[in-house]
Amino acid sequence: MAVKKGLFKTSVGRKNLMAVTGLFIIFFLIIHLVGNLILILPDSFFPVEFWGGVENVHNMYNAYSHFLVSFWPVTLVAWVLYAAIMIHVIDAIIITLQNNKSRGEKYQVTDNSTSNWYSRNMGILGTIIGVFIVIHMAQFWLKYKVLGTEHDLYELVFAIFKVRWFVLIYEIGIIALGFHLIHGIESAHRSLGIYPKKVMNIIKYVALCFSLVMAILYAIIPIILYLK
Amino acid sequence: MKLTLKIWRQENAQTKGKLVTYKLSDLSSDSSFLEMLDVLNEELASKGEPVVEFDHDCREGICGQCSLVINGKAHGPEEHYTTCQTHLRSFSDGDTITIEPFRANSFPVIRDLKVDRSSMDRIIQAGGYISSFTGMAPEANSIPIHHDIAESAFDSAACIGCGACIATCKNSSAALFVSAKIGHLAKLPQGQIERNERALWMINAHDDEGFGSCSNTGACVMVCPQEIQLLDITRMNFEYNRALCYNKD
Repeated sequence: MAVKKGLFKTSVGRKNLMAVTGLFIIFFLIIHLVGNLILILPDSFFPVEFWGGVENVHNMYNAYSHFLVSFWPVTLVAWVLYAAIMIHVIDAIIITLQNNKSRGEKYQVTDNSTSNWYSRNMGILGTIIGVFIVIHMAQFWLKYKVLGTEHDLYELVFAIFKVRWFVLIYEIGIIALGFHLIHGIESAHRSLGIYPKKVMNIIKYVALCFSLVMAILYAIIPIILYLK
Repeated sequence: MKLTLKIWRQENAQTKGKLVTYKLSDLSSDSSFLEMLDVLNEELASKGEPVVEFDHDCREGICGQCSLVINGKAHGPEEHYTTCQTHLRSFSDGDTITIEPFRANSFPVIRDLKVDRSSMDRIIQAGGYISSFTGMAPEANSIPIHHDIAESAFDSAACIGCGACIATCKNSSAALFVSAKIGHLAKLPQGQIERNERALWMINAHDDEGFGSCSNTGACVMVCPQEIQLLDITRMNFEYNRALCYNKD
């Protein structure tokens, strides 16, 4: 019997693809967070003698971001990341359209007590994150890396986070990300078939803790910069 | 007990359905949910009106024939019950209860609350079996199986194929149902021969029947009368990926 196999051809294959791309994006989130935590460090954190010419957070952050755009392996990984995000989005749209086709007539009465709201609304959370990524990239990536109109990224970050609306947009994006991660990490491992019960119980716990830590650390950066 | 019932009435899959309100009184709280529908149907029949059609058979939670979404929950308010095991004591006097059929595109309405669930049979036909001559019951000790594995396989095999998981899933995915059968046979020595093909065939059949993808929300597990676990779906995904590695087609 001829069977359909592969990533785009079966429901399980498509979910595998979601899982792999999602987990790769999470790997980037960690690196991105570590880099940006430099922003909230006190100026006195960098002793002159240890960092050579880098004597404050301002220079350290700009040196770090300059390294990211000029070191070619980072650029290569960045392209893989863009591809992963695009595949994650396209696959999500394909899966959602297929799922909508599978669903029958709407129930007149619904009881949502059987599942978490965020696990049911991964698409909506993902869309919020998607819109946020577009705004975020237009503000920094486009100006600093693509157009090259901004050279002092530290100044740019500070200018943006002095605007209350932007801080609010970032907080909304980060909260959506946090909930997307809680379900996404567990679901990704399930989609890939990591089934021993003990391992899955650990993954569930790790997913929750990791998502909370990521969301809280990301969320405090715009607030601290706004208040600084 | 007095109850107001809002029941989905629909001629067939081609026509539009709607909720119709019926009032019943003098009901015993010890009566089962399906007995309550029998009372309603007797009333309707005595008035010469068409009775409410619904699926049922054993009425003791074994066969998987009964369905119904009661107040938005498959098989009613009690966790891990079938509709036939649900009794009126789970409701209060004067309640309004909305009763709808199991809904999914692959479950076309036959009439009223009765839906065609043969799509699930076709998934089983695609690979939910082992190819061997059965003959007489074999000697039980000729194939040694660890007690825990036998128990685990039996837990998966307990699926009665009612379709509540599909009716509850926001994507109308049959993942829990398919995973129960794949898991049951993958755990036992008798299931090893067709292990790879089974995972591929059944998941292909699942997709061909028009069921959606699993989002791992776990809603299916909460309504499953046999408490099939989300871990069965995870195991199914493992079996699928394993089959991709071993399959030579």
